[in-house]
Amino acid sequence: MAALTTGFGRARQGGAGDPREYKAETAAGGDKLGGGGGGGDRGCSFLRKVSVPGSGGGGGGGARLRSIAGTRPSVQNGQLLVSAGLPALDQLLGGGLAVGTLLLIEEDKYNIYSSLIFKYFLAEGIVCGHTLLVASAKEDPGDILQELPEPLHDDNYKKVLDEGRSHKSQEEPEISMKIAWRYQNLPQMEAGPGTSSRFGHYYDVSKRMSQEVIQSAKWHKFFLPEEITSYANVESCALNHGYTKLLHFIQRVISEQGFDGSNPQKKQKNILRIGIQSLGSPLWGDDICCADTPEHMHSLTRFLYVLRGLLRMSLSACIITVPSHLIQNKAVTSRIRNLSDTVVGLESFIGSEKEANSLYKDYHGLIHIHQIPRLNSLICDVSDTKDLAFKLQRKVFTIERLHLPPDLSDTVSRSSKRDLVESAKQLSPGCGMMAGGKEHLDF
Amino acid sequence: MLQILASRGDLVLLRDSVEWEGRSLLKALIREVALKGEQVQVLGCEVSEEVFREGLDSDTNSRLVYHDVFRDPQGWTGNWGPLGILRACLRGAEPGPCTLAVDSLSWLLLHAPCSALCQTLRALGHDNSHPGRVRVLGLLHEDVHGPGPLGALRSLAQIEVTVGGNLGFTTAQVFHPKPRHRSIEQTYWFSILPNFSLEFHKETLLEPRPHRGPQSPTVDAMADLTFNVHLSKKEREARDTLALPFHFSSEKQQSLLHPALASSTSQIFYEPDADDYLDQEDPDDDLDI
Repeated sequence: MAALTTGFGRARQGGAGDPREYKAETAAGGDKLGGGGGGGDRGCSFLRKVSVPGSGGGGGGGARLRSIAGTRPSVQNGQLLVSAGLPALDQLLGGGLAVGTLLLIEEDKYNIYSSLIFKYFLAEGIVCGHTLLVASAKEDPGDILQELPEPLHDDNYKKVLDEGRSHKSQEEPEISMKIAWRYQNLPQMEAGPGTSSRFGHYYDVSKRMSQEVIQSAKWHKFFLPEEITSYANVESCALNHGYTKLLHFIQRVISEQGFDGSNPQKKQKNILRIGIQSLGSPLWGDDICCADTPEHMHSLTRFLYVLRGLLRMSLSACIITVPSHLIQNKAVTSRIRNLSDTVVGLESFIGSEKEANSLYKDYHGLIHIHQIPRLNSLICDVSDTKDLAFKLQRKVFTIERLHLPPDLSDTVSRSSKRDLVESAKQLSPGCGMMAGGKEHLDF
Repeated sequence: MLQILASRGDLVLLRDSVEWEGRSLLKALIREVALKGEQVQVLGCEVSEEVFREGLDSDTNSRLVYHDVFRDPQGWTGNWGPLGILRACLRGAEPGPCTLAVDSLSWLLLHAPCSALCQTLRALGHDNSHPGRVRVLGLLHEDVHGPGPLGALRSLAQIEVTVGGNLGFTTAQVFHPKPRHRSIEQTYWFSILPNFSLEFHKETLLEPRPHRGPQSPTVDAMADLTFNVHLSKKEREARDTLALPFHFSSEKQQSLLHPALASSTSQIFYEPDADDYLDQEDPDDDLDI
């Protein structure tokens, strides 16, 4: 269980933890606290126990873990987090994606925006130097890697964001608030690059990542049509043939490359980022999306169960996109959600009647955070806003709070008020209070 | 309309229904493609070859390569079965851009598992011998299937054409989803002539797309009020210059720092009543006066 018990190295030392270390640090005056430090603890008869033998050079004290690039410990529960590629999404998920967990993205109807989030995750992996494992049944993983967005540097990001904001202000003039002027000073949804250190990176969607950066990345690919060359319709007992092969592949990569700590003499630890695209779609050979009563209903759920076991015992993080709008059986959808750790659903307005709704005219879709895991704690850090919408500007994918207009009484008409009520009902109870039933109480 | 269908490597789904059949549109599209000199592979499952070739001119007919499943739907003559024939359609084709018309995907869906069909269609579109240049036109009867298989095929297709009809004209609603509100959604009115050529018409007076419902009549709320809601210009200016109560402006700061200046404006006059009990003694003895 290397992944979930990482965190601060201090947590491992039992007994008199903090007071001793504080004394030792002040005594040593901030020098290197080397192993077996009898000399460092003046006035303290305890011997510092070195938990990482032979760490040598590397980083600071012998008791602290060498930090892996692109990760940071969570401030809520001490888990090791990796960025999902979008700082706004990281903020909604409670700081990032915990190492050893599974992020499930429920695809939007034409798989346009969910593949974008998938690419952000992979691009973040390349920029941080993590190893990638990309599996797909529809597109060749090499082609997916060619379409990754280009990382932006800090000063470029400010320019891009201002560009986006200036577009908006051309449409409606900025009204400074007169009575509620305190609300103007509230922070925006997305934190700028200055606030966080090298944890989340920003990307320019209109440009592609350069070839040298992609070549320098280490990645493994699993492309289903290449792995299964014969079209035998024979299905193995419990799991789909494609799923079995994928699980074997993942397990092989994890054990050979040492992500599960099996080769302790290896060099610097690294994170494995696994990305599986459109799992459960008919192209994987699974009929869960095609039939009302699928024959192998438990294929996908078994796969997720085994996959999560593999993730928990290795330093890896996984993103999966599932076309759950095609799954007819709601029980299967809720099973899939329960078997994943973090679940994010995307709903795009393309081709739906919501496109005409004036409330949604600035946005391209809604984003629903269905589930956030409770790792080693009793509560999870759920963001207080449940109404989130996203839009894909020319260069940047932004997630913003959706402000519903107030619900007025019957005598004042609003265009498509009925639609607002219906759409508000579909949102989680965060704003359900506002648009309560179709009848309004009349006093 | 054909410009939209010009892109390659795509699956184009022609959805028809009981109200309006789509086979004539399929044949019209085949004719258009064949007129450009391309060879068209046709997999015919629902009607016999003679019925399919009927109405098409000899030029088109010579460019059609027909693979017949209708003659032997169960595969008793030792063929590979419907999916096998689908895969084999492209094997004998000449290299270069190629179009494959499937007479109907519905028939294939009823005779083969949906996931296998999707995998085969995807493999066809990305065939190695015709890299990126195969276009598959599939006819699908949407009444026959449930939402599951229909949704699966729709997610696989790049372009969807829904065939309908009204007042003697055929309509085709073409939908090509793309990100950032750039999806192409267009409706064409045309009629199909007996030789399967298309004659386009201007958009007639039919209603626009049904999902944009009619606007409900708006009621003006400001009509019969007993008080004045509107502000005149002077009133608006006066309102703008008004200082808000919780603003800590410099005037307020001055008045707090120099209470002597403000004492002339407000004073408290107290006249003790007969019933008031004025006790000079302080029982707690903690006031320092």
